[in-house]
Amino acid sequence: MASQLPLCDTVAMVMAGGVGNRLYPLTRDRAKPAVPFGGLYRIIDFTLSNCLNSGLYRIYLLTQYRSFSLHRHVRQAWGPLFNLTRGEYVDLIPPQQRVVGDWYRGTADAIFQNIYLLERERPKHVVILSGDHIYAMDYAHTVRRHVETGAQLTIACLEVPRPEATRLGVLQVDAAERVIGFEEKPAEPKTVPDDPETSLASMGVYVFNTTDLVRILSEDARTDSSHDFGKDIIPTMVGREMGVFAYRYRNLRTGARGFWRDIGTLDSYFDANMELLDPAPLYDLHDAGWPVHTWVGAYPPAKSVHAFEEEGRVGMATESLLSPGCIVSGGRVHRSLLSPRVKINSFSDVRDSLLFTGVNVGRHARIRRAIVDKHVHVPPGFEIGYHEEEDRRRFTVTESGIVVVPKGMILA
Amino acid sequence: MAHSVLIVEDDQSEALLYREEFEDQGYDVRLACDADAALAAVREARPDVVVLDINMPGKDGLDLLGELMDIDRKLPVILNTAYSAYQDNYMSWSAAAYVVKSADVTELLQTVRNVLAGS
Repeated sequence: MASQLPLCDTVAMVMAGGVGNRLYPLTRDRAKPAVPFGGLYRIIDFTLSNCLNSGLYRIYLLTQYRSFSLHRHVRQAWGPLFNLTRGEYVDLIPPQQRVVGDWYRGTADAIFQNIYLLERERPKHVVILSGDHIYAMDYAHTVRRHVETGAQLTIACLEVPRPEATRLGVLQVDAAERVIGFEEKPAEPKTVPDDPETSLASMGVYVFNTTDLVRILSEDARTDSSHDFGKDIIPTMVGREMGVFAYRYRNLRTGARGFWRDIGTLDSYFDANMELLDPAPLYDLHDAGWPVHTWVGAYPPAKSVHAFEEEGRVGMATESLLSPGCIVSGGRVHRSLLSPRVKINSFSDVRDSLLFTGVNVGRHARIRRAIVDKHVHVPPGFEIGYHEEEDRRRFTVTESGIVVVPKGMILA
Repeated sequence: MAHSVLIVEDDQSEALLYREEFEDQGYDVRLACDADAALAAVREARPDVVVLDINMPGKDGLDLLGELMDIDRKLPVILNTAYSAYQDNYMSWSAAAYVVKSADVTELLQTVRNVLAGS
């Protein structure tokens, strides 16, 4: 259930500057956090919804490359949800080049260059978040734990099977959950004291005492380090035996391991979307106690048209998510996510696919295992995902064979 | 070889006092009366250490600290101010040291020695 009390002495800094090269061409015109997700949303909506549902109402969003659509979305969707007169805000912070006239050199540098924001606000705690993860987490719970343990830094982490930990940042903890070791992508991941099969992986979610954060960043800024939390700041703090504690992220209701997805590649992006279609998904968009906010235009309800079963002209969607403004007109949609204002015309067939806003699928067209970006008009009879060689010649095709059609591409 | 120190100080009589004291200790001293002069001096020849006043006309010492880091992240800067309150300002924490001005220059000289020994 969402937290009721605001986190008064806490500010969130969300890193939303990732280039997202591995999500290309979805990131051709937009920053990674602005990539659509779950039909109706953008990736950033999940982290911002966590903030809102946690009572964390003071948010700085640090943006960087190709941030136009991210800025517009956040202004539209999130601006109205925060009450400035009550001291709430979600502020978009492009690089100010105020301390060092350069793009950010690493995650720690991104925060260091914006220390003036913390000086202005003087919060007790800073929650550092990444804008490109999909999960549902109550940060208020983490901050409370941080205060109870008297930690200087609390690192939220996932319990993962040991073999999976080799591609993550792994925490070694003692019986009191104090972090005594930290390694990025270790060949031999350390396990938790009570279970030799389970490792703790950092989620890139940190709670810092502001003074400890500023001190360590100011020091790091003067070194030749890569200015990265995972590579530099955490190992330094752990090495000095500072108060670094792990917080195990769990589903607050069930106590089970929490759902968390890092949208690293087109394949993991596709899979994370598809997971939403499960009958009982691990991330439940229909959970009224944990609403995910976004901006939706004044679109009418999704509509299905035609039921001429004899001619095979039935507007039908099964195991799918349909956004407002969609029209499924005499075509078939199965296991797909449709963003607003998608039109599926008669006799067409769309399956295992993501169609972004404004996509139009012409009559008799067939689409399978594809991501079709905004405003693509798929001509009548056109086929995507059925002819591997041709698809590879025209489009980006991922390792697992997902075809990606870039925004606005003209198909003939 | 003598260590070089750049003293950024808008008060001329204080600047001359520092010059005398530092030269007596064998330092190679340069003076800058504001941020622009300081930036020009650092670009021209990198000093071993900068002693930086905070309250100055134009760009203040905290802003200048950021710009100096832009030129050379490792250039040690000692903030030297009449006000202890700036010590609380997060922007001052990336300085190598913070000295509150007094009539006696001993503490400043000692801090410069410590910073040079550490760098």
